[in-house]
Amino acid sequence: MADLELKHAKKRFGAVVALDDATLQCNRGEVHGLVGQNGAGKSTLVKILAGVVAADAGEITLDGRPLNVRNPAAAIAAGIGMVFQELSLIPDLTVAANVFYGRERANGLGISPRGLQRDAAALFDRLGIQDLDPAAEVRDLPLAQRQLCEIAKVLARDPAVIILDEATSALGARDAEWLIETARRLARSGKVIIYISHNLRDVQNISDRLTVFRNGQDVGVRAAGEATADELVALILGRRASRLFPPRTEPIGHEVVLAGAHLAGGARLHDFSLSLHQGEILGIGGLTGQGQDELFRGLYGMLRLRGEVQAHGKPVQLSNPRVALGAGIRLALVPEDRASQGLVLALPVLHNLSLSVLPRLLKLGLVSSRDELRMSDELIARLAIRLNSRLAPANSLSGGNQQKVVLGRLLATEPAILMLYDSTRGVDVGTKAEIFQLLRELTAKGSAVLFYSTDVDELVNMSDRVLVMRQGRSEAELAGADLTEENVIRASLGEPVKRAGAPITTGQTALVAEGGVQ
Amino acid sequence: MSGQTLTPLQTTASVERRPRTGERRFDVFQVIPYIIFFVLLISVVLLNPRLLRLSVLETKLNAAFPLLCVTFAQSLIILTGGIDLSIGGILSIATAIAATQMTGDPGSIIFWTLAILAAGALAGAINGLIVTKMRVTPFIATLATWSIWSGIALFILPKEGGVMPAVLKTIVQKGGILGLPKSLYLVVLLALAWQFLKRTRFVTRLYAIGSNRKNAHLSGTPIHATLIMAYALSGLLASLGGIYRTIQYSTGSPTAGDPFILTSAAAVIMGGMSLAGGRGSIGASLIGAFILLLINDLNYFLGVSTFFTPMVQGVLLILAVAIQSLGNYLRQRRLAL
Repeated sequence: MADLELKHAKKRFGAVVALDDATLQCNRGEVHGLVGQNGAGKSTLVKILAGVVAADAGEITLDGRPLNVRNPAAAIAAGIGMVFQELSLIPDLTVAANVFYGRERANGLGISPRGLQRDAAALFDRLGIQDLDPAAEVRDLPLAQRQLCEIAKVLARDPAVIILDEATSALGARDAEWLIETARRLARSGKVIIYISHNLRDVQNISDRLTVFRNGQDVGVRAAGEATADELVALILGRRASRLFPPRTEPIGHEVVLAGAHLAGGARLHDFSLSLHQGEILGIGGLTGQGQDELFRGLYGMLRLRGEVQAHGKPVQLSNPRVALGAGIRLALVPEDRASQGLVLALPVLHNLSLSVLPRLLKLGLVSSRDELRMSDELIARLAIRLNSRLAPANSLSGGNQQKVVLGRLLATEPAILMLYDSTRGVDVGTKAEIFQLLRELTAKGSAVLFYSTDVDELVNMSDRVLVMRQGRSEAELAGADLTEENVIRASLGEPVKRAGAPITTGQTALVAEGGVQ
Repeated sequence: MSGQTLTPLQTTASVERRPRTGERRFDVFQVIPYIIFFVLLISVVLLNPRLLRLSVLETKLNAAFPLLCVTFAQSLIILTGGIDLSIGGILSIATAIAATQMTGDPGSIIFWTLAILAAGALAGAINGLIVTKMRVTPFIATLATWSIWSGIALFILPKEGGVMPAVLKTIVQKGGILGLPKSLYLVVLLALAWQFLKRTRFVTRLYAIGSNRKNAHLSGTPIHATLIMAYALSGLLASLGGIYRTIQYSTGSPTAGDPFILTSAAAVIMGGMSLAGGRGSIGASLIGAFILLLINDLNYFLGVSTFFTPMVQGVLLILAVAIQSLGNYLRQRRLAL
C-alpha cells in the first residue's frame, strides 16, 4: 500500500467528465510527476487532494489513515500543501503576511508586522530563497516573485504532502533550479512531492516516477529514468504525437513591419533595437526581468518608451493600446496572465471573442447577434476551442482553452503584428502544438510575430531569429545554425555564443545578406 | 515524519539585508485624509478659538462619537468588500430600547446596556448569516434588513420620545478627566481598539477576504465564520453608537439611525478605503468622519448656508476619490505589466 493514495476518484462538472475512476499512488521519499494534457484530469485530481474540489466518489488515505478533506482548511490541517498554478496569494497583504497567513505568531499586542517580516526573512534564508522581499506587497510583485512567494507559503507550513502545480512556469532559471533541488531534498526527508508540469523534460528530470493521465483516467505509471519522451508523449496523446513545432512553409518577407531603435523605458529597458519582418517570428529571449516586460508593454502603448518606433515604415507614437490596435499599426498583444489581462472572465466565451471587433459587427448601431455568432463559431472551430457551450463563461474553460479564447479575440482583429508575451506558459502540449501551428499559418499569410517565451526549447524551435536580452540590452542575435538552446542560454548568462560558420559581425547585416532586406 | 521543521523561530535574520524588490516607496496618497483633516482642524480653530474650550470640545466630541462608532462598524464590512446599510436600523433599535426601557437604577442601566449591545450583535450576525449562508449580496441583504430593523424600532418606539436617565449623561459625557473631556478618552479608546484589532488574525482575514476571496478560501480562511463575526461586530458597534446618541439627546427616535447610513459610507471613502475591499485603514476612516464633521463646522463659521453643506461634502468626496484613483493609476504605471 502506498503512503498517499487517491483511489477510484470520479468527478463531473455538469456534462463534462473530469475524472473517471482515476487512481494515484505516491510514496514518501519520492517526487511523483503527473503528466497529461489540459483537461486530462490531473488538475482536478490534485484539487481534490487539496480540498478545493469535492470528489463525487473516491477515497484518500495518507499513511493508511482515511482523510476527509472537505475544504482547503481541512487539507492544510491534514498536512497537504498545494502550490496553485494560479496562485493563492492575497494581493493586498505583504509577502510575510502571506507566507504565515492563518498561522501568525502573536504576542499580547497582537501580530507584529515587523516580527512577521523577520520570521519570513529567517525562513527564506533557511530555504535558500533569495530575491524575495518580505515587506513588499504581493500586488506589486512581478509574477516570478509571486510564484516564489506562493511556494514559500506552502513550504512554511511544513506539509507532509507537497503538490507543485506548474510551480516553475514563471520562475527564472535559477529559481526553477532552486525549487527542483528543494523538492528533491524534501522528498529525501520523507515527504511526498507531487509535481505537475507541461514541460515533459522537467518532469522527467525531477521525478522518480510518473503517472500519465488521459481523459480523466490514469493510463500508466513509469519510472522516470526508463520512459522515453516519445513513449510518454504517445501515452499522453493516446496516439503518435504530431510534430510540436511545425516547420516554416513560406519565406520571410522583405518589408520591415515593426522597427525600434534604441528603445529604453521603465526600470529595466535601457537600449534595445529590433526589426521585425513581414511573415517572421522574431523570438525574444533571456532570463526573466531583463527588460522584456518593458519592451512588450512599451510597444503595446502601456509604457512610455524613449527611442524611435516605426510601424510599416512610418514613425509612430505608441501612446496607448488603442493606437497600437488601430488601423495604421494593427498590433495585438497576447498577455502572460490571461485571467487578469486578456479575458473578461465572467462573460461568455462568445462575447469574449467578439469584444475587440464590436464596431465591425454593428448594424444600425446595435451589435448583430447573428454576425457575432458566426464570427465566434468560426474562431472556435479554427482554434479548436473545447467548450460545453459558447455561452459558457470564460473562467469555466481550462487554462489552455482560455488562452485560445484570448488568441481568438485578437485574431478577429486581423493583426499585422502579433506579440506573445510568454503566452504558452502553463498550456498543455496538445494546445501548444495547435497554437504554434496557428502562428505558422498567420505568418504564412504575412503577419509578423514577436514571441517572448521563458521556455528556451520553444523559443529556439518556433523563432526564425532570436534576440537575447540581458540587462535591458541586446546581448546576441541568433539565427540559422547559431540558433541553439545552448547559445540562447549562453547569451542569457552573458557568455560568448558559439558561432557555427564564418564569424558574423552583427546579426542585422547577416539578415540583410540573407534576406536582402530593403 | 521528518525531523526537520520549518516553523518560524525567533532569529536575528535581518529583513534589511534582503533585496527591496517590491514597491515600498512612501505612499503620499495614504496620508491625504490626515492632511485634509489637519488643514480643516487648523482653519476651524483659527476661525473660532473658542472651540478649544473644554465645554465646546466636549459638545463637539459627544456629537461625533456615534458617527465614529458607526463609521468603525461600516469600515469593518467595507474592508471585506461588502457594505452594511442596516447599521442605521440597528442604531434605531438601540435608541428605541434605551429610551423606553432604561431607568436610573444602576441594575437597569447595566442590564439594558448589555441587552442592547447583544441585540445589535445578534442583528448583525443575522445580516452575516444572510450574506454567507443564503448568498445574498451585502448591499441587498442589508438594504432589506435595514427595513426590518427599522420596523422593529418603530414597533418599540412608534414616535420620537422616551426618556434616557439623566445620570448617564453626567457619568459618561459631562465634565473631564485630567482637564480633557471624557468623550476624548472614548475617541482615543476607539482609535486604540483599531490599533489592536488590526494586529489580530481576525482583521487580517477581513483584509484577505476583501482582497481576494477565492484565494482567502484556498489559504484556509473560514470565510463564513469570519464574515458573520464581522457583521456581528458591526451591529454591536452600531448599537453602541445608538446608546451614546440617546444619552446625548436624552430621548429616543425610531429613525435616529437613518442619517448615519450614507454618512458612514462617505466617511469611509473620505478615509481612503477601497469600496472593493482589501485596502485601507479604519483609523483613516475615523479621520474621514472627522473631516465630514469639520466641513459642517467650517461652513457654519464662514456663515455659509447649511443648505450648501451637503454640496461641499459631495464635492470634497469626489475630490478625495479622484485623488486616490490618481494615486492608484500612477502606482500601476510604475509597476510591471
